[in-house]
Amino acid sequence: MFFHLFYYKLISFLKTAVDKRAVSVVRALASFLVFLGFAYSAYTFAFAATRFLLEHTRTGLYLYHTFISMLLFVLFIAVNLGNIIVSYSTLYRSSEVNFLLTKPVSFTTIFALKFFDNFFYSSTTLFVVAFMALYGYGSYFGYPWYLFAGIMLFVLIPFMFLSACLAVLVLMAIMKLAGKIGFRKVMAGLFALYFFFIYLFFDSSNPVTLVEKINRYYPNVDAYFLHTAPGILEYLPNHWVAQCLFYVARGDVVHALPYAGFLLAVTIAAFSILIYVADRYYYRSWLVSLEVQSATRKIYDQAHRHFMDFRSRSIFPSQIEVMIKKEFFSFIREASQWIHLVVMIILTGLFAVSVSNINLNLHVMDVQMLTYLVMFVFGGFMVSSLALRFVFPMIGLEGQTFWALRSSPMNGRKIFLIKFLLGFALILPIAEYIAIASNIPFMSLPALRPLLLWSGVFTAFWMSLTMVAFNLGFGGFFANYLERNPIRAASSQGATLTFLATLLYLIAVVTSILIPVSAYFETLFRFKLLDRNLFLIAGVLIAVLSSFLSFIGFLIGHRSIRRDF
Amino acid sequence: MGDGIDASMEETNRSLPKTDPLMIQIQDVTKKFGSFTAVDKLSLIIPKGEFFGFLGPNGAGKTTTIKMIVGLFAPTSGGIRVNGWDIVKQPMEAKQSLAYVPDVPFLYEKLTGREFLYFIGGLFKIPKPVLKNRIDELIDHFEIGSWVDRRTEDYSQGMKQRTTIAAALLHTPQSIIIDEPMIGLDPRSAKIVRETLREQSQSGVSILMSTHSLPVAEELCDRIGIINEGKLVFCDTREQLQRDKLRYDGKFESVFLEVTKQ
Repeated sequence: MFFHLFYYKLISFLKTAVDKRAVSVVRALASFLVFLGFAYSAYTFAFAATRFLLEHTRTGLYLYHTFISMLLFVLFIAVNLGNIIVSYSTLYRSSEVNFLLTKPVSFTTIFALKFFDNFFYSSTTLFVVAFMALYGYGSYFGYPWYLFAGIMLFVLIPFMFLSACLAVLVLMAIMKLAGKIGFRKVMAGLFALYFFFIYLFFDSSNPVTLVEKINRYYPNVDAYFLHTAPGILEYLPNHWVAQCLFYVARGDVVHALPYAGFLLAVTIAAFSILIYVADRYYYRSWLVSLEVQSATRKIYDQAHRHFMDFRSRSIFPSQIEVMIKKEFFSFIREASQWIHLVVMIILTGLFAVSVSNINLNLHVMDVQMLTYLVMFVFGGFMVSSLALRFVFPMIGLEGQTFWALRSSPMNGRKIFLIKFLLGFALILPIAEYIAIASNIPFMSLPALRPLLLWSGVFTAFWMSLTMVAFNLGFGGFFANYLERNPIRAASSQGATLTFLATLLYLIAVVTSILIPVSAYFETLFRFKLLDRNLFLIAGVLIAVLSSFLSFIGFLIGHRSIRRDF
Repeated sequence: MGDGIDASMEETNRSLPKTDPLMIQIQDVTKKFGSFTAVDKLSLIIPKGEFFGFLGPNGAGKTTTIKMIVGLFAPTSGGIRVNGWDIVKQPMEAKQSLAYVPDVPFLYEKLTGREFLYFIGGLFKIPKPVLKNRIDELIDHFEIGSWVDRRTEDYSQGMKQRTTIAAALLHTPQSIIIDEPMIGLDPRSAKIVRETLREQSQSGVSILMSTHSLPVAEELCDRIGIINEGKLVFCDTREQLQRDKLRYDGKFESVFLEVTKQ
């Protein structure tokens, strides 16, 4: 039965994906080119970063893999949280599940079908990124082709799969507990648990402490870290992957195999437990989800008026006012939206607080400059992720109710502008906060202090503008008005392409600031005279590029709103 | 208004009272999706206060025509004027005077019915005090009751339909375009909707109603048009329809089947 259903899902997917119309072919070709460009960039970046860290800054193989372990931890948590949120929609609120439940199909089959659908749908891009990063990293060490395939198939994919299995187990536990003590209490408990884990991890393996230790023990970093006990890290899958990669990089495959084998065994065990639990509990938890949903049904009290109430007066013209209020209520009444935003804001806050407390007392220019650039890229990546997650779906989420706006006397330009401003109002403060926080550790030379900070603030403004315009515009272009799940919308093929395009833009911005930032640090450490015009030229370049891309976003978005609906 | 109406259009609308102002004018409108022609050189005039029934088999082009009138689709060729405004060139003015009720009443799920009505009122720039009174009036009229303060995701199909029709009447439109209004309505709600539409028509609002229900069309409409394969194949007044029926077995169904025969 599973393969019968899988076959028809595959046919349905292929019929949608393989479209011979000229416009679709052009779109597919453009998608392919962007993917190709991104894949090549991921490869180049991984290769260059590996070479730079190991040869130029002499970070050391062990420490380098400690950093990789941290990135893998972030990836594990991201895949895990993403799967919890997406799985709730696909397993408990899907019309396909409702349909299949009325047919003689076992609950386990339905569960397995939706689980795989969910995993492969939302992780395809991650597979591409992971493989190309692995390719770049492995090329540095001169790995043969079968090692790439082996690591991808037996290490990285099981790693992500394990994260997804755990996510769905957690989700079913949430549903079981929600039926007993209420959804809100369970969510609060879950938040506390995740933050406890994140705290525990970063307490044992704090990137701030790591950077400080590099400063302290440089250049004998590897010698120090090889003799430190991993502690709690030993029990985490990201550590197993990092250790496996570390031993393979040293040419010691024999020591790498136990880590890979252990990871594989744990993944198989987790999947078996998942299927066992689903067999016993999925349908019951589906029934609980109905109760949870009906518990949120209520009659809204009309006696109390708050400032966002539609009946309250507003300083804005009526069309703008009702659009803002509609967007506000649609957002805060959708749990998957506000919970995700809260999580991302807290993570951003943690990142910003952590980086602002880094004590960079090592006077090695390359390490400081690299740290600055890494933080800049990471900040840009966060802004890009936020824009993708919350701005890209804004037009598509109008859904089939878009008729109400489209048949009203409100022009498309105004609709687009309001959505743009709302997205910009959300992204800009976060981007500026990251920019300011990540500049704090580098403000050590009083005379130059404002320059790097203002440059960061300036760049964050243009990046926010571009990311929002681009995501909103392409979100309109790729809008699927039948998709009601914002997370699925933000992980669709169109969203992936947009994300990759914004990452290329990020690379262009980083390239633009490379020379002035390098000059800044040379002034700091080598007492060279700083040519401030370098910052001016980079600023102009960024402003011109950002304006052009924002214009493209506006143009595409505006046209998409006027399309036949 | 009414300039440039060609001879074929006048022929199609031969039963039209010549003195009434023309509220909806469709002239030689064609809509193509790739190589498929959904609507083929359709011409139609609906004067002020007329209740026009728009019938046709599935896939005949009814909803496509309606979507072009309300600005959701752009015509491939031809022109549409709504209450004197060109829907392509002056869409804001045209939409301000128009109300649209879609065939499936999709609402913003996270808003309550009342919030949805305020939202639509705001889009049509209705002043708050006027809007409040109008909403209260329509909630009573359509017997929405306490459901109005629940999220629309909890609504039945009928409740959604009633809310959508209430939203359409908020700004007292000059023309109403309504697609399959009786689907999902219980007999009581259907009666309220029928009476409301009739009252609107009598007060001078022109209505274009798409329906599959021949009895409803016969009961409500002043004039009935039948579209098949994108072309208007029948267009006559209710009185003329009675005479046409006699040429068959006295049933409208027989006329419908004959004119839509492949």
